[in-house]
Amino acid sequence: MHSFLLMVQEGAEAAQHAAGAPASPFEVNFGLFFWTWLVFGGLVLVLWKFAWPPILKATEERERKIKLQLEEAERLNAEAKASAEELRRQLAAAHEQASALLNEAKQAAHDERELAVKKTREEQDHLLDRARKEIQSEKERAIVSLRREAVDLSLAAASKLLEEEVDTEANRKLVTDYLANVPEMKH
Amino acid sequence: MMQAPDIGEVVLHHTADAWTIDFYPLGQIHLPRWEPVHMFGYPVNLSPTKHVVFMLLAAVLVFLTMWLAGRSLQRQRAHEKAPKGFAGLIESLVLFVRNDIVAANIGHGGEKFAPFVMTLFFFILYCNLLGMLPWGSSPTGNLAVTGALAIAAFLTIEISGFFKLGPVGYLHTIFPKVPGMGGTGALVMSVAMAPIEVLGKFVKPFALAVRLFGNMTAGHFVILSLFGIIFLFGELAIWNWAIGITTAALVLGIMLLELFVAFLQAYVFALLTSVFIGLMQHEH
Repeated sequence: MHSFLLMVQEGAEAAQHAAGAPASPFEVNFGLFFWTWLVFGGLVLVLWKFAWPPILKATEERERKIKLQLEEAERLNAEAKASAEELRRQLAAAHEQASALLNEAKQAAHDERELAVKKTREEQDHLLDRARKEIQSEKERAIVSLRREAVDLSLAAASKLLEEEVDTEANRKLVTDYLANVPEMKH
Repeated sequence: MMQAPDIGEVVLHHTADAWTIDFYPLGQIHLPRWEPVHMFGYPVNLSPTKHVVFMLLAAVLVFLTMWLAGRSLQRQRAHEKAPKGFAGLIESLVLFVRNDIVAANIGHGGEKFAPFVMTLFFFILYCNLLGMLPWGSSPTGNLAVTGALAIAAFLTIEISGFFKLGPVGYLHTIFPKVPGMGGTGALVMSVAMAPIEVLGKFVKPFALAVRLFGNMTAGHFVILSLFGIIFLFGELAIWNWAIGITTAALVLGIMLLELFVAFLQAYVFALLTSVFIGLMQHEH
């Protein structure tokens, strides 16, 4: 065991010193920078071209789809919001219109009633007027006929009195006064 | 008495990078050596090392995993079935990184960083895990590798920020707007804050690099040190079995912890990179 290690150690040391190889991991061989860039850079390119696309294709496809769906959902949401707003606006407008119509109808009904009342009153007044005029004319006619009746009656009475006691002074005066008063009773 | 082995030296050797790959006792592979090239006046040795080989292995394994999982998922989807088995596991892991690390921390528009961060996560994870295999080695236990990854993250953070914020907006991440102040006071404060802001930009990737390197290396240090106990005290004839069993139990515990740390550090690196990208993207 022991000798094995020593052998390894000595053999390696001999080989290294002969070749001038680095004897510790803390020595920096600048040639390795270029090797690293070459190997790593090559690997980046080769993987980029041949390995990543088949591995990531499904994921990228899914991501693209999800992104599209999200955008679509966002668009639809905005549209729905806009149409809801439109509906609300229309509803408010309809409400306003309905209440305006109602007010108008009320006003119209009110006006109509006023008009009807006014008309009725006018008609009433007219009828009343006519009735009054008729009553007046009837009254006048009655007065005229009453006067005629009164004259007739007076004449009849007078003739009866004349037949019996025309000669008395008092009676004569009575008839004369009555007759004088008749024209004044006309009204 | 036999010479005591230098455990420290073994530990350092084992965790260090090398020009060879050991398959002891089966043999050893010597990697090719190239002459250093001069860049910006410095010699840079581009010869492949053990960590380069394991890094390539990790990259190939990540690609195979993802490619096979993708094919399997396509087949399952063609039959209109939910993902299941290995492919389902990989899909859920990938989606976890994509949705819960990248998208959750970068936020809006974070998907375009997903390929980068997902690669970062799985590459680091596989590099971490390779260190747990026999004869394996963690490239992420190398400061140059984690440094290079952190620089890649840094460039991604800053360049994407620059394009997102524009020249003026980006300048404000260095010369911040001071809230509640105006005129000369704000200007002085803004300029005074600039060094801190610039430092902050560089501290982030530095912390990323050192954190990953430290965690991976420290795990190996602990495991190897515990194994060292066997070799240090193995001579005690009476207790050697007890020591062996205790050590093995301890190493098993640390190994399980390491397994967790391998996932955790990959997660932390990816998470912090995403957070930093997100901070720059939403800087105002």
